[in-house]
Amino acid sequence: MKSKYPTSVPKVDFVPKFSGEALFADDFRFKDALNAKTVRATIARGKIKSVKLPELPEGYYWFDKTDVKENVVNIIFSDWPVFADGRVNYLGEGIGILVGEDTEVLEKLASEVVVEYEEETPIFDMSESYIHKAFTKGNYEEAKKKAKKIIRRSYETSFQEQAYLENQGIVAYFDENDKLTLTGSMQCPFYVKRAVMRSLGMGDDEVRVHQPAVGGAFGGKEHYPSLMGSQVACAAVKLHRPVKMVFERPEDITFSTKRHPSHSDYEALIGENNEILGIKAHVKLDGGAYKGCSGVVLSRALIASCNAYVFENLDIVGDVYMTNHVPCAAFRGFGSPQTIFAMEMFIHHIAKELGVDPLELRLKYLAKQGDVTTNSGHFHDPIVLQELINKAMEMSDYKRKIKEYSKPGCLKGIGMSLFLHGCGFTGSGESDIIKGKVKLVKDENDHVYCYASSVDMGQGCRTTLKRIVEKNLGLPAEQVTMDGPDTDTTPDTGPTAASRTIIIVGFLMEKAAKNLKKIWKSGVRQEHIEPYVGPEYIHWDEATMQGDAYPSYSWGVNVVEVEVNPVTYQVEVKHTWSTYDVGRVVDERIAVGQADGGLLQALGYGYLENLRCENGKFKQRSLTDYIVPTAMDAPSMDTAFIDNPFVYGADGAKGMGELTFVGGAPAIALAIENAIGKEIHAIPVVPEKLMEVINNGKN
Amino acid sequence: MAKIKFTLNDKPVELEVDPSARLIDVLRVNLNLTATKEGCGEGSCGACVVLMDNKGVNSCLMPIANVIGHKITTLEGFKHTKQFEVLKMCFADEGGSQCGFCTPGMIFAAHSLLCSNPHPSEEEVREALSGNLCRCTGYQSIVHAILRASKEGEGLW
Amino acid sequence: MVKYIPSSSDDALKFLAEHDAYICAGGTDLMVLKRNIAGHLPKFDKDVIYVSNLREISKIYEDDKYVHIGATATLDEIYNNKLTPELLKKAIGEVASVNIRHFATLAGNIANASPAGDTIVIDYLLDAELKLQSIKGERTVKAKDFVLGIRKIDRQKDELITEILFPKTSYDFGMWYKVGSRKADSISKVSVAGIYSIQGGKVSKFALAYGSSAITVRRSEALEKEIIGLSQKELANRIEEFVEKYSQTISPIDDQRSTKDYRLLVAKNITRKFLKEVVEAKHE
Repeated sequence: MKSKYPTSVPKVDFVPKFSGEALFADDFRFKDALNAKTVRATIARGKIKSVKLPELPEGYYWFDKTDVKENVVNIIFSDWPVFADGRVNYLGEGIGILVGEDTEVLEKLASEVVVEYEEETPIFDMSESYIHKAFTKGNYEEAKKKAKKIIRRSYETSFQEQAYLENQGIVAYFDENDKLTLTGSMQCPFYVKRAVMRSLGMGDDEVRVHQPAVGGAFGGKEHYPSLMGSQVACAAVKLHRPVKMVFERPEDITFSTKRHPSHSDYEALIGENNEILGIKAHVKLDGGAYKGCSGVVLSRALIASCNAYVFENLDIVGDVYMTNHVPCAAFRGFGSPQTIFAMEMFIHHIAKELGVDPLELRLKYLAKQGDVTTNSGHFHDPIVLQELINKAMEMSDYKRKIKEYSKPGCLKGIGMSLFLHGCGFTGSGESDIIKGKVKLVKDENDHVYCYASSVDMGQGCRTTLKRIVEKNLGLPAEQVTMDGPDTDTTPDTGPTAASRTIIIVGFLMEKAAKNLKKIWKSGVRQEHIEPYVGPEYIHWDEATMQGDAYPSYSWGVNVVEVEVNPVTYQVEVKHTWSTYDVGRVVDERIAVGQADGGLLQALGYGYLENLRCENGKFKQRSLTDYIVPTAMDAPSMDTAFIDNPFVYGADGAKGMGELTFVGGAPAIALAIENAIGKEIHAIPVVPEKLMEVINNGKN
Repeated sequence: MAKIKFTLNDKPVELEVDPSARLIDVLRVNLNLTATKEGCGEGSCGACVVLMDNKGVNSCLMPIANVIGHKITTLEGFKHTKQFEVLKMCFADEGGSQCGFCTPGMIFAAHSLLCSNPHPSEEEVREALSGNLCRCTGYQSIVHAILRASKEGEGLW
Repeated sequence: MVKYIPSSSDDALKFLAEHDAYICAGGTDLMVLKRNIAGHLPKFDKDVIYVSNLREISKIYEDDKYVHIGATATLDEIYNNKLTPELLKKAIGEVASVNIRHFATLAGNIANASPAGDTIVIDYLLDAELKLQSIKGERTVKAKDFVLGIRKIDRQKDELITEILFPKTSYDFGMWYKVGSRKADSISKVSVAGIYSIQGGKVSKFALAYGSSAITVRRSEALEKEIIGLSQKELANRIEEFVEKYSQTISPIDDQRSTKDYRLLVAKNITRKFLKEVVEAKHE
């Protein structure tokens, strides 16, 4: 059979997954294993006056804050307690866990725990800021004096649920060396390890974490497993038995972390000749009860506030608000989908108001190599965005369609978004904070083993990282192995997040392989560890948010065609065309997979996935009510890549895990706007909302 | 408790279980066959789909009582078939499995379709898959894999 | 709790004569309602009888007056049978997913009496009847009289639905319009089904029913009587009047799936569209 992707290699984990032999968190069977059930707050905010437990039968135990050494989940900002500490700050917050053999008994016991609260009025609106960031560029106030007009708009985005097919699940047990070990659905084994070490006061050599098959994550398993892991570990240690905590779907949707909802106010200064003299933006994110990683999400949102455009004068402010909602955390895009949606819509709305062609306006401010970025750094590397736009327009016949579909009465629409995504951790975080390492070990038979803490959660990093090593050592696939990370044998290469796996870890693997080749001695066991050394020209000041925000950027264009049903206001996605610059594609099949999956998930964010929170509780709590696209909703998708090798990338490769998400929502929103001839200011554009926009122009 | 007699992966089986037990629990817990996954527990996501008489059914909603006298196939059994080999080859080449969690259900949605319609159109494939959610692939690679399997596996279905 | 697997439908009737039990056919609704934690038995608060393997009540056949659809026939079997009325096939084709349709039943859909049940709308529209059997004998009840409220049906404890009967009928055109939350695998936000015939420029047949719009299906025979007999020209001048009148027969709500305003407006839009089709239909 002829291969559709002749340059691609078989995925290393395909066979075990396809045959059903790969083990996910809930597939493990441990002797003497116990289950853990979280007892949760039934109010959104208040002090805990007392906790009365039912009489616990033999073999059933209760653990709470008194059972951990340090009651904190180790996250970027560690304000999230492992167990509620005298008060609860969101509906569902874990007060304690019940541990025992039978989950039905645990459920019954959980319902019999009586908690007395001193209730407080919960906050659900964005009014109490607990993280504030701001920066400027040029001189916005000066520019205001030259403005002939000021255009303002506000944009809103909603909560989004990751809806990975495999629910959250984690197991703590004791390995053959009687060492406390955790495995489960996670993105960052070292995050879980450090969280357990911290909360239980255990040493580096006392905790081990390894990865099984992971059924999707998308950011939702970046931090949350640290909470669950800390909880089950404390029980496992006290009882010296395996303890497992696996969610079912309603618990997962209702209580695990979500994408931050946003409200952004944008203002544009327009000059005499319809130039955009400056942009002012206030980005507001709902962080929920605890900060966690929200500060970094805000940073990314603000850095992306002008998307792929360069404006001379900026006044950018952002806040994360403390609310008594479930805490929000990582989800593919990590803040940038919110502001890229706002900016893409805004520049279109500016164009409409000025009576100029939106595409021409965008092209005028398109970033070019050497330009000063939003944060007063520079776009050091070549930018092929114009080529990406041209190709996408050609593939989709955009120019003809936008004209045709703009005719009144035509319910078809086409929309195009263009976007960037910074790859890797902000600024010099890779060199200064993460300091990732990879390890290559060659045995006496000249078989090479690759070690990196990157978790393959479907994106294929075990295959792509291994491939980089194969290519640079000149070895066939059978002579190189890359297993999932195990903290006992794998160095900390950093988290599987921030679109850093190929650009940073891949680069490390390339270097490591090249260096191993230099010292290669056949028939002898050799080991090589490669620490990350990034481009020296990247300088970033976190406090002022000035400098080069990322080692580099990937770029993309999404074109989406829709048709609106005038009877039901439903949107049908007819087709999509996308072009991407990810430096260089490591494996085409895997890259196309990321392109397709990321875009469909983003389209869901834009028009389908409705997650409403009322009084701190999500109204949609199952996959029946939280609507993600099915195969019938998904369109045919065409994707093309344009090479633009990055000097510090493995064979020039940059990141793409999140790039393929960040543009989908504005693309579909713009397509819907084109179809109905009215402005869209909020997503998801569900039929109920579209009906209001069409009938009232309100949004 | 009742005696539940059925065929599992081509072998006759007799289990003494409560008739109301879910098929997925009998498979995963009683028989320790973990290839069948649970994603939602209410028949919406399709991760739990297995074959009953060569038709895909959501095992999370199937009482074991209803399985009496029928042929149940899980991936542990299906992986030994020629149809599996063809699907495997096509899914591998198209990239139809990323995280792998929806895969067992997808395989059976594909097989179930091809059993009743060996030469489906793309639209028919998408409809046949519409009860199996995937969050990773965007579905296109899966659809293409099945269309190819219907060609490569000519005569098998 | 008795969980019974009958050996025949007679055996089932004997059991039902002595037990107040849930009747489980496919289980696709019952198993969701009675859901327990994974790995544990569903939470039944009374006895259960499993009837899906009673093949003797799964037959689909016809006689002079009716198409008979057995209670344990699966939606998939019904869909693929050439005797099945076209409009029923259309509705079945959009119920849940193909996996569910492989073991869900038509009888189960109406017996559950969920306000969002899709095939129930067709049952009402096509004047379907249900045959109920017990050890005492049998009776037939019209579908519209069978559903008494949300999850309330006119079934005595000792009765078992054995057939659903569809009177053989003909009409020029039938419509099934389901508005779900996505293209497949979704529960209706609102659904509308209708049939009409035109003879000599006049509406000779007309029926319209709404699902997911009230506690049970709404079909107004009064409004149908007003429309039948009108010429297409007359109807053309009264479309908005009937759209308004029909909108007053339904009472949609706000819930986690949709809003009252949306459901009402879409129901009106579909009604208007349908009436326009009636007006514009070419007649012989």
